[in-house]
Amino acid sequence: MTDTPQVTRPLIADTPAPLARIGDRAISRAAFLADAQALAARLPQARAAFNLCQDRYHFAVAFAAILLRGQVNLLPPNRGSTTLAEIASQYPDAPALVDGPDAEIAIPILRVSACGAAGEATGAIPEIPADQTAVLAFSSGSTGTPTAHARTWEALHAVTWQALECFDLVDGSGPTLIGTVPPQHMYGLESTLLYALLGHATLLAGRPFYPEDIRAALADCTPAVLVTTPFHLSACLRAGLEWPTPERILCATAPLDPETAGQAERVFGCRLDEIYGCTEAGAIATRRTTRESDWTAYPGVQLHRNDDGLARVQGPQHPEAVPLPDHIEVRDVSHFRMEGRLADQLNIAGKRASLADLNRRLNAIPGVLDGVFIPPGTDQDTHGVTRLAALVVAPDRSAAEIQAALAECMDPLFLPRPLVRVDHLPRSATGKLPRQILLDLLAHHGQCA
Amino acid sequence: MPSQTAFEQEVAQLIVDSLNLEEVAPEEIEPEDALFREGLGLDSIDALELALAISRAYGVQIRSDDENNREIFASLRALSAHIEANRATS
Repeated sequence: MTDTPQVTRPLIADTPAPLARIGDRAISRAAFLADAQALAARLPQARAAFNLCQDRYHFAVAFAAILLRGQVNLLPPNRGSTTLAEIASQYPDAPALVDGPDAEIAIPILRVSACGAAGEATGAIPEIPADQTAVLAFSSGSTGTPTAHARTWEALHAVTWQALECFDLVDGSGPTLIGTVPPQHMYGLESTLLYALLGHATLLAGRPFYPEDIRAALADCTPAVLVTTPFHLSACLRAGLEWPTPERILCATAPLDPETAGQAERVFGCRLDEIYGCTEAGAIATRRTTRESDWTAYPGVQLHRNDDGLARVQGPQHPEAVPLPDHIEVRDVSHFRMEGRLADQLNIAGKRASLADLNRRLNAIPGVLDGVFIPPGTDQDTHGVTRLAALVVAPDRSAAEIQAALAECMDPLFLPRPLVRVDHLPRSATGKLPRQILLDLLAHHGQCA
Repeated sequence: MPSQTAFEQEVAQLIVDSLNLEEVAPEEIEPEDALFREGLGLDSIDALELALAISRAYGVQIRSDDENNREIFASLRALSAHIEANRATS
């Protein structure tokens, strides 16, 4: 009996485009490989490692080093100490790869400071087993601890190649990818890291945040693809700056309205393509928002609606059908319309959370006897972002103490504003909390005056 | 207790107005206290919103090479000083 030869996929594409750009320095693929191999040699023996690096080049080096060692990149949904501890309990031997001031993490830390100065790797491009789990991303399920979603190297290759073809990044101009999303987010991972690793593109190490940062990065990098979110895009449009023209804008994390998309195409002078995806399934579809409201699935990806009403997606990267966390109307196997989020799902500035999960975490805080998050209404016409509110029964805990405990286990975007302490919640006989009564109670406490 | 200068009062009002902090009185913001997390509990969305308000009011574009590089937003005093310095040279 002979062993079946192991199927592998290359760690990086063999293209002349530099892998990264740090400031005005281009980092070649060979220099990147040298950095990744040097870091891989420093990694302890383990099944997995947290990749918490914030600089996109550091993240890329850590990502590759972890793969080279046959380990899994753990991508937590936030940096709260409770969140990290929950994941660490499943991977007790996993160190945390960091590049910032993360002194408070109760996990062994390995600092990443690679900058393309470790020489140039020679020899063949390393191959990674196709079935190796490359990343574990986490979504907040409605019950229990964060739900892990595993993506194999094969699955990441598949979705990246679908996108590279859609966005002309196979043999196009070799643009620099300017990302405003963190690489730990599935969209940021796919669209800023993987497009550069596996395509003819270069990632920008920095993470421009303010409109002026984004303008300066676009001015420095030509050609460029701006990888952003509705939240950052609308801030740019409101900033009233003169914008250098990128080759293309990619936008994801929440649906963009056609008016904003049209304004962006006029102001930036280029086309804007939206990507639809989720932590559970990764990116699966795209649309040119100014021309079509329906989404077109990536090549080879198919959608079906099941008897339970949930849409499921299947493709080369999903050997098993994955249910989507949105209310989806399937037009045909490769076209769909997103009607809205499922009732339990929240999206604040592009970050998703489960309302049930947030409520469970609030009620798990010692001293909190009862409590409920109140999602913002959909009819509010305010600039910027609308926050969650919360009503909490906790006679012995201050609002600040409760906020501090919440900050340990959720993204800051979900922290309630305001958090109002009350004597009791107006539960109905069946234990339900009618939304209007909650809103009245909030208003009564002087918030929505 | 350090008290707000006239310009800090103006910036405190801008912070409260642009971030809809209905429950905060501008004069109660301690000039040296942290604006983010511990102090007013602001986050990255607030930083972006505040940057837009500052560029509109004073023509000062906030820049950082990193979202977490928040010295400018460390406190009301630091933010006010940054705005004044950059407004003066423009």
